[in-house]
Amino acid sequence: MELTGKKQIMLTGNKAAAWGARLAGVDYVPAFPITPQTEIVETLSQWFADGHMHGKYTNMDSEHSMFMAAGAAAASGVRVFTASSSQGILYGLEALHTIAGWRVPLVLVNVSRALATPITLEPDHNDVLSLRDTGIIQLHAETAQEVFDYILMAYRIAEDPEVCLPVLVNLDGFYLSFTREPVVIPDEAEVREFLPLFKPSQPVFQASEPMARASAVFGGGNYSYFKIQHHLAAQNVVNIYRKITQEFSDRFGRFYDAVERYRLDDAEYVFVMSNSFATKGKAAVQHLRKNGIKAGLLKLSLLRPFPSQIIAEALAQRPKVAVIDQNLAPGMGGILYPEILKAVYRREDRPQHLLSVIGGLGGRDIRAGDFMNILQRLDEEPGDDPLFLFDEKDLKQFDQLRQIAGFSREARVQ
Amino acid sequence: MLRIRLHGRGGQGIKTASQILGTAAHLAGFQAQDFPLYGAERRGAPIVAYARFSKNIVLERGPVAQPDILLIGDETLLSDPMAAVTQGTDASTLIFINSRHTSQDLKKHYHLESLPVQLDISELCQKYIQKPMILSTALAAVGVRLMGHIDLHHLLQAIREELGQGRINPEKIAANLTLAEEVFQKAPSFDLEFSESDNGFSASRLVILERRPPVDSAPLIFATGNMAQRKTGNWRTHRPVVHNEQCNGCGICYARCPEGDIRMDANDKPVIDYDHCKGCLICVEECPKHAIEIIREVESWN
Repeated sequence: MELTGKKQIMLTGNKAAAWGARLAGVDYVPAFPITPQTEIVETLSQWFADGHMHGKYTNMDSEHSMFMAAGAAAASGVRVFTASSSQGILYGLEALHTIAGWRVPLVLVNVSRALATPITLEPDHNDVLSLRDTGIIQLHAETAQEVFDYILMAYRIAEDPEVCLPVLVNLDGFYLSFTREPVVIPDEAEVREFLPLFKPSQPVFQASEPMARASAVFGGGNYSYFKIQHHLAAQNVVNIYRKITQEFSDRFGRFYDAVERYRLDDAEYVFVMSNSFATKGKAAVQHLRKNGIKAGLLKLSLLRPFPSQIIAEALAQRPKVAVIDQNLAPGMGGILYPEILKAVYRREDRPQHLLSVIGGLGGRDIRAGDFMNILQRLDEEPGDDPLFLFDEKDLKQFDQLRQIAGFSREARVQ
Repeated sequence: MLRIRLHGRGGQGIKTASQILGTAAHLAGFQAQDFPLYGAERRGAPIVAYARFSKNIVLERGPVAQPDILLIGDETLLSDPMAAVTQGTDASTLIFINSRHTSQDLKKHYHLESLPVQLDISELCQKYIQKPMILSTALAAVGVRLMGHIDLHHLLQAIREELGQGRINPEKIAANLTLAEEVFQKAPSFDLEFSESDNGFSASRLVILERRPPVDSAPLIFATGNMAQRKTGNWRTHRPVVHNEQCNGCGICYARCPEGDIRMDANDKPVIDYDHCKGCLICVEECPKHAIEIIREVESWN
């Protein structure tokens, strides 16, 4: 498809991701399909075939090879894009830790889909959060516009001479990946002013200039040096991000802070959310405000590095805060809750009630009524147990499923 | 906000219809969103798509539970409880059915709460694009007309843009535009009001799950062979019908059916299990005596 010269077009989250890669002028795309990501690589392969994109598109034999190829290409000094989801990300996990340690810049997209078992196609964030300790930078998108914009910003972050790390842009399967909404796609010249063609800022593999990257070190001290440096580089992205997002805003008129403060200023109740369901949270805030309840929402966009100080400041003096984790670490609880708790812990003006909510698992909708349940719980005494968004309707449906599966307690349980 | 839900089958252009609607509304200046629900579906399986339009930013995502407009492209879905076509509708829902029957007959036959809007768009599709069940353009045109607020030229531009992406040749696109114009003339317009009311903001009763033993808490399946309960006959757009007088009882159809939906009776004649036959028509291809006829599944009653 050609741009029609119009400012806004209707695009799915996946198509917006493909447009991001196309206008970033990527040189190399190693690809492997997986629902719900396939539309991204399918679109890119068509654009390479039609001559809209120049460079190399390669179908790989697995996600593990794909991420290795992506890292190796980035190490040779070309601009690289790749994408996956869920089990695919996990299959390539070993490679992702490895290439992050290589300190090479590239951008990858994850389309969130809950992990097996039981197997499903619908989203939650256990897949992307399993990458939280890789040292890969993470930006989480709520809208198709954010997907596109974050990809352009992601290349700037990844390729910044102070950073040199992979950057991941996350979007939810179905609720965003297959949902079309209006997206502003700038023309290539505008993009090129913000994101010039890639010139590596660090040594790359070249003929006649021998170099190695995947070094082995023995002695934990040597290992520690590189890991601590990796940490410091990732942490510094909070500062780099501020600079890049400001420049993006100056050029394109859309400003993305590391977090979005939605009607937070005088909020007494706050929902902390990320990704596409933040849209539902905003609708709940609007509804509550209409009914005289001062609600607000804190949307987490930059997840790695974790912008602790920005979050602590945003939540300061907000009395009742619910952290909605669309993920579950069995035996622990929500993954983001302890990170938020750590962020606010040292401040005296921290929230008095910081509630952990676990919902939206495996694409279970977070419904308007769920926000009312959260509100009620925030008015009760704080406790240790998380609030699970699982209601009578869910149980009824589950009981029906269990009937079909042939479950009979008498026959199976001694 | 105006919420539209579209029903049809894989291969009928239901997703494309939702996208034409979305683009037309977007061109007309509305905030728009469109979204198909799919995963493991395929040709013939019931398909649902959605569209939302608003004068303000759309702060909803995912399936539309209570549509203002219901567009039913394939009437046969109405008699299939699993397709749950009328779920979430009430007397205020504007329902459109692609059918040869009258509105009164449709209301009575399907026990609908209100009189549906009826138009035989398949006939018009046959006339202009020679494909009675490629409904993308016609169903979108009906949707645009029912909701109102969108001019014909925005609809036509949306069709050009959406079909233009799919490598469809210019003559076919021109035929679709003529089809859209005719549907636009024929379908009634309602100019629906955009409701700004919030739905569903009452707390449901949460359930606190107790720990159960693994046999009761792991995803185990004890009912073997329960696939038979999953009736896939509603995926069929075409029905294979055996003419026993031409059949020589060779059993090739029985051997080739990928679903195992054909059995041989006492007289060595094939019997097709229509509850599960998906209509792949491999039996028709394979029959050496050409004894299996193809009949299009068009409507649920005559």
